[in-house]
Amino acid sequence: MYKLITPRIKKVAYFLVVLFVLLAVRLFFVQLGAAKPLSKLASDQHNMYLCLLPRRGVIYDHRKKELAVSINLNSIFADPLMIEDEESTAEKLAGALDLDKEDILLKFKEDKRFVWLARKVQPETEKAVRGLSIKGVGFIKEPQRVYPGGELASHIIGFVGMDDKGLEGIELQFDKLLKGTVGWRYSIRDAKRREVPGYEYKEIPPADGNDVILTIDSVVQAFAEKELESAFEKYKAKGGIIIVMDPYTGDILALANRPTYDLNNIKGSPVEARRNRAVCDFFEPGSSFKIVTAGAVLEEDVVQLEEEFFCENGEFKWGRHTYHDHRPHGWLAFRDVIKYSSNIGTMKSAMKLGDKRLYRYIKRFGFGMKTGIDLPGEVEGMTRPLKQWSKLSLCSISMGQEIAVTALQLACAISSVANGGYYVRPRIIERIQDKAGQVIEEFKPEQRYRVISEETSKELRAILRGVVEDGTGKLAEVKSYLPAGKTGTAQKIEQNGTYSHKKFTASFIGFLPYDKPRFAIVVIMDEPRPYYYGGTVCAPVFKNVASQLMRYYKIEPL
Amino acid sequence: MKDFLKTYKAIGFIFIGTLTMLMYVNQQVLIYQMGLKVKENHQVYSKLVDHNRILVYNVLNLKSPVSLQTKLLAKKVELDMPHKWQVVKLESSPKKFVYKKAVKKGFFANLFIIGREAEASQNINSLASLSY
Repeated sequence: MYKLITPRIKKVAYFLVVLFVLLAVRLFFVQLGAAKPLSKLASDQHNMYLCLLPRRGVIYDHRKKELAVSINLNSIFADPLMIEDEESTAEKLAGALDLDKEDILLKFKEDKRFVWLARKVQPETEKAVRGLSIKGVGFIKEPQRVYPGGELASHIIGFVGMDDKGLEGIELQFDKLLKGTVGWRYSIRDAKRREVPGYEYKEIPPADGNDVILTIDSVVQAFAEKELESAFEKYKAKGGIIIVMDPYTGDILALANRPTYDLNNIKGSPVEARRNRAVCDFFEPGSSFKIVTAGAVLEEDVVQLEEEFFCENGEFKWGRHTYHDHRPHGWLAFRDVIKYSSNIGTMKSAMKLGDKRLYRYIKRFGFGMKTGIDLPGEVEGMTRPLKQWSKLSLCSISMGQEIAVTALQLACAISSVANGGYYVRPRIIERIQDKAGQVIEEFKPEQRYRVISEETSKELRAILRGVVEDGTGKLAEVKSYLPAGKTGTAQKIEQNGTYSHKKFTASFIGFLPYDKPRFAIVVIMDEPRPYYYGGTVCAPVFKNVASQLMRYYKIEPL
Repeated sequence: MKDFLKTYKAIGFIFIGTLTMLMYVNQQVLIYQMGLKVKENHQVYSKLVDHNRILVYNVLNLKSPVSLQTKLLAKKVELDMPHKWQVVKLESSPKKFVYKKAVKKGFFANLFIIGREAEASQNINSLASLSY
């Protein structure tokens, strides 16, 4: 046995021992010094975190009709290093994707392993590209927000960007609640960086976004938009706004702007068309504002309904300024001052009230402050503090000049008259609920405070009924439903600070039926041509929308 | 004899060890295959769900008031709420069609009374479209 261990074997044995010792030493140092970075490197190569995208919540109207939903579409990418024949591949892809061949070639020349070729393509396009079976071209599913109504309620709903982040409207305002929470899957991958199925270690599923239910009724919205659109085109206006509101709850049933845009084609629309003018723009209301003056003088009991005012036959000099009526009037009872929209009569009644009290009522009617609606970009309008009022301010403001308001503020003001004297906060969101239908947040109607008494509200409603029955708003008449309202025609201010004789803002604010109002409607037209009177341009829109509302809600004629 | 037993013991250990390892490898392959199958099925499922969502969206799009309005206007048909005179109210079912309740005549009598036939009712909720 001893003889078998020859010196040669011994040498080999010694060599092996030394080799193992060296390996052990190396192992020791690797373990001691480089263990952490090496194990991290191995882990990074071997393990993978997969991001699981949540589904964005749905936006519904009041009747749970979908206004914004998400679908999954495939995006196409390429790994330039894997593309074999760049020229022919680019040519094939250009044909299938309707892109420029040169643009694709430029992408192939980038020093990257991943370049987007097209994002969120239509299923037909995806099928065409798949059919090409090009090595190095892959597909990734991405959520795409789509809007079944297209242009319908576009300024309310808003839109999302390429990364599914809300950029406008409700999509922006409630982005956090709509987008949901991203989930993760911890798994292992093979040498080709593909997930090895069956080896998922941990998974945190994504939490889908919550659904938002609006107060909007898509049918009301549709016919309000249709009427606004036809008036907008007929009078070649620069802009138009319509708001339909429940005067008791403050629920916005429809809110539309012109110009508008298609939510499914954001890129094709001008930025100007995307502005929600109803909350972001303010303007001088003109005679529509007389409801505030009338409400104030009646509430403070400084003027009686039958009290007569001399309207100076249409021309009244006050200080250095001369005020005019659009039609000369002599003596008019106060109710007729409003009915025929006499500026002179209104300012004379306001003089009896005084600036302090008028200012207080302007504030109480909600002007000069945000309404608090859940839409982004709302402005306060422009109501100068009392200290900054000039001697002419009382006269000017009483007839709707020197003050700037938003259409929504006007809607709230007319609702206060309609509902018996309460200021209501406009409500556009009814509730937010999760996928299981559990209510996350409920937005209840909010009556904030009393603006005018029930009695004053009743008197004012009767006066405004007169405006439609026999005054400046005759074209708003809806037979058997007795609407009430106020017309407004405001001169716009030119860049040099003077009032324009060519540019006007026409308005009609009203409600119906006048004794038991169900709906308040505001119609605004910016720079209509050739007609520019609120009673001519906006009152017919009010009439058409109101008559359809009555039929839609099956309200019995009076 | 002792050496012979030792050799067999060693071979036995090697055999059992190899078998265990083979079983382990086989199990891993099975896990992988099952995972692959689950993944494939899931892909088919999600593809169908996505396709369904697109179809539902198309239906919603076609049903939307704006789309209907555009189509009707193209045919010069105005979309408008019906007037009262355009609505015909149907009377409720005539009395002769109303089923009479089965008269109870005691346990034995009821055994011989032919009552209403079973009616199949359609559950509208089961036909509801997929939720998002």
